[in-house]
Amino acid sequence: MDFLTNISPISCSLLVVLLPFLAFLYQAIVGRKARSGNVSLVAISLSAILSIYLFWNQSPIESNIEWFRIGDKRFFLGILLNNTTLLMQALVSIVALPVHIYSKAYMKGDSGIHRYWMYLSLFCFAMLGLVVSSNLLQLYIFWELVGFASYLLIGFWFTKESAAQANKKAFIINRIGDLGFLIGLAIVYAQFGTFNIVELFAVNGLAENWFSQVNSLSGTWLTVAGCAFFLGAMAKSAQFPLHVWLPDAMEGPTSVSSLIHAATMVAAGVFLLATVFPLLNETVLLIIAIIGTTTALLAAFFALTQNDIKKILAFSTISQLGFMVVGIGIGAWDAALFHLTTHAFFKCLLFLAAGAVIHEMAHFKHETNLDFDPQDINFMGGLKNYMPKTALLMGIASLALAGFPLTSGFLSKDALVISTFEWAVAKGGLYYAFPIILIAVSLMTSFYIGRLILKTFFGDFAFAKNLKAAKIHEASKTMIYPMAFLALFCLFIVFSWNPISYHLSWVLKEFNLTYTFEEIHSLHILIPVILTVGSLLMWWIGYQLYIQKKQQVKQNALFRFSFNQGYLNEFYAKTIIKPTLLLANFSYWFDRTIIDGLVDLLSKITVALSNLFAWVDKYIVDGIVNAFGSIAYGTGNLLRWVQNGRLQSYLGFAFTMVLLGLIYLIVI
Amino acid sequence: MITLTHCLVVSACIFCIGLYAVLAKRNAIMVLVGIELMINAAILNFVAFGKYDESNYGGQIFALFAIVLAAAAVAVGLAIILNVYRKNKTINLDDITDLRD
Repeated sequence: MDFLTNISPISCSLLVVLLPFLAFLYQAIVGRKARSGNVSLVAISLSAILSIYLFWNQSPIESNIEWFRIGDKRFFLGILLNNTTLLMQALVSIVALPVHIYSKAYMKGDSGIHRYWMYLSLFCFAMLGLVVSSNLLQLYIFWELVGFASYLLIGFWFTKESAAQANKKAFIINRIGDLGFLIGLAIVYAQFGTFNIVELFAVNGLAENWFSQVNSLSGTWLTVAGCAFFLGAMAKSAQFPLHVWLPDAMEGPTSVSSLIHAATMVAAGVFLLATVFPLLNETVLLIIAIIGTTTALLAAFFALTQNDIKKILAFSTISQLGFMVVGIGIGAWDAALFHLTTHAFFKCLLFLAAGAVIHEMAHFKHETNLDFDPQDINFMGGLKNYMPKTALLMGIASLALAGFPLTSGFLSKDALVISTFEWAVAKGGLYYAFPIILIAVSLMTSFYIGRLILKTFFGDFAFAKNLKAAKIHEASKTMIYPMAFLALFCLFIVFSWNPISYHLSWVLKEFNLTYTFEEIHSLHILIPVILTVGSLLMWWIGYQLYIQKKQQVKQNALFRFSFNQGYLNEFYAKTIIKPTLLLANFSYWFDRTIIDGLVDLLSKITVALSNLFAWVDKYIVDGIVNAFGSIAYGTGNLLRWVQNGRLQSYLGFAFTMVLLGLIYLIVI
Repeated sequence: MITLTHCLVVSACIFCIGLYAVLAKRNAIMVLVGIELMINAAILNFVAFGKYDESNYGGQIFALFAIVLAAAAVAVGLAIILNVYRKNKTINLDDITDLRD
């Protein structure tokens, strides 16, 4: 490892980014023959090792090369290494590594697996490139690349209609966000003339001094720029009302979902907000907090009644992203990033475990020839007896998600909820709604994840009598080990020595952010207690409802609202998709009838004219020429019979001619 | 007395008979005879006009010359006819159309 200490952090980080790209190129070139995915696996492993080697608390370094020049404006490509980017880089590669290993078992035997490895490497490359970009333009390019790679992965089983629809939906909704990002970029460039992240967003950088610019744009533009950037983050990080793509993105392979939901893709939005944070003014921050709270609340509410195991987790992700966005909104972007980090690990683990369960259920379905949805938790139950390790690992992740003490989620979620409370206290009035909603959401989180665990792993197996025909096995070791690895990161010990106080966590310590509001010590005890007791209570209710079956769940309007995901998809179908289709149909009609009609008319006129000219050409011009020809031919034909070979007629002609000549001479 | 006019009329008559023979007869020999008649008509004219050249008798001399030429021409003509006959087994001019285009 001696040579490693000699290479600069920049080239090291460059390697981290480029290795998955090389793997992508290799998979793309070799194609069908590269089915093992070993190249991608090695690449991401090396990336993970290098990023861990680089990890944490170096002095910020930046390196740029000029990319191109327009007039005297210079554009750069570069790498920026500071605590934020290092954290994200390590997070992405460390989460991606177990997903790669897991995929080897999960995707085994899929006919398109060579494509899978290719897309996965591209996805990792795009995300790693995004987090270390030193300027916003480069970040934007990788941002688009992440969107594109996710499009490919969600639609991995593109022969399935729903998958094709889902990736289209994800892509289109992300385009809306991309537009926002682009507008933000334009405003920032118009104002500051640079894309460099350090120059713009460093402490006391350009963004903080918007009005001290020469020829400064008005303050409205500052708000617009903030909203534009937030729009981009909303689409990527699945914030209400642009979250609808994320539950549908479940159509991709589960390993992909876990990656999308954990470290890549959805993390990009929060990361972007944390990066451009100094640009966001009071108004924008308030909007962000409102949207984040709404998202957290609605998504958690929708998650309560879903039956698809992956859908529950998807809404859970949206809800947790809402927490992070609230964190940004209140100015505690370090807490948001902290929650992003802890969430990445436990959500990834949840998905991988869910994938293992689905894998077994699908297998069971295949063996017994029963007809049921292998992702529906109503058909599961009692699986802890058959897959104890998976159950244990998923249980740990669920505790982390619910924010139970001793887990990482406890630290980060408390950091967010307590900070929000303190912020609300500082603001007073209606602002108290935010922390109260967040606490309610936390309890709902405990309930839906408890419901998932209880329905999946406890109680009785729905097809217990079919167990003779086929067994349900524990997931294979290739799947268990990565999950165990992730479970390690769900524990408090990785992030802080002290399981109670998030302030001692190294993540928050090193960001060393000063909040705009005061710390309230009593809350640091009160809120964790409320949350923990509440969670326990929720689990007890869940146990009564789903295992003891003391009471039937009533399917009232609220239930249906939640079950149908707030009718948002239907709403969009009615308000946006239908008019769009109508417009498209009208445009189609307009194009067909008016535009094409005009063109057709023109062409018809042209054809008629051409026919006229053809007639003139055929009968007049050619006629004249042919007439000459005919005359020549007729004359020739007439004179032809003179040459009949009879000497006597020759003589007779000769004589006649002489006679005629004579008569001519005589007469004239 | 026989005048120049009488001679010319006779000559014209002979020429026309010859011409008719040349144009109308089917037999090549008869055509040749027609040619002879025409030549002789011409010779008669030579002799008839010869009275205007009493000192040199150019007309008579030319007549003799023409008779020799006519004899030679007939010899050549007969030789051609003979060859034609050998080739075509006929001397009917209607059947001999090798000069046709």
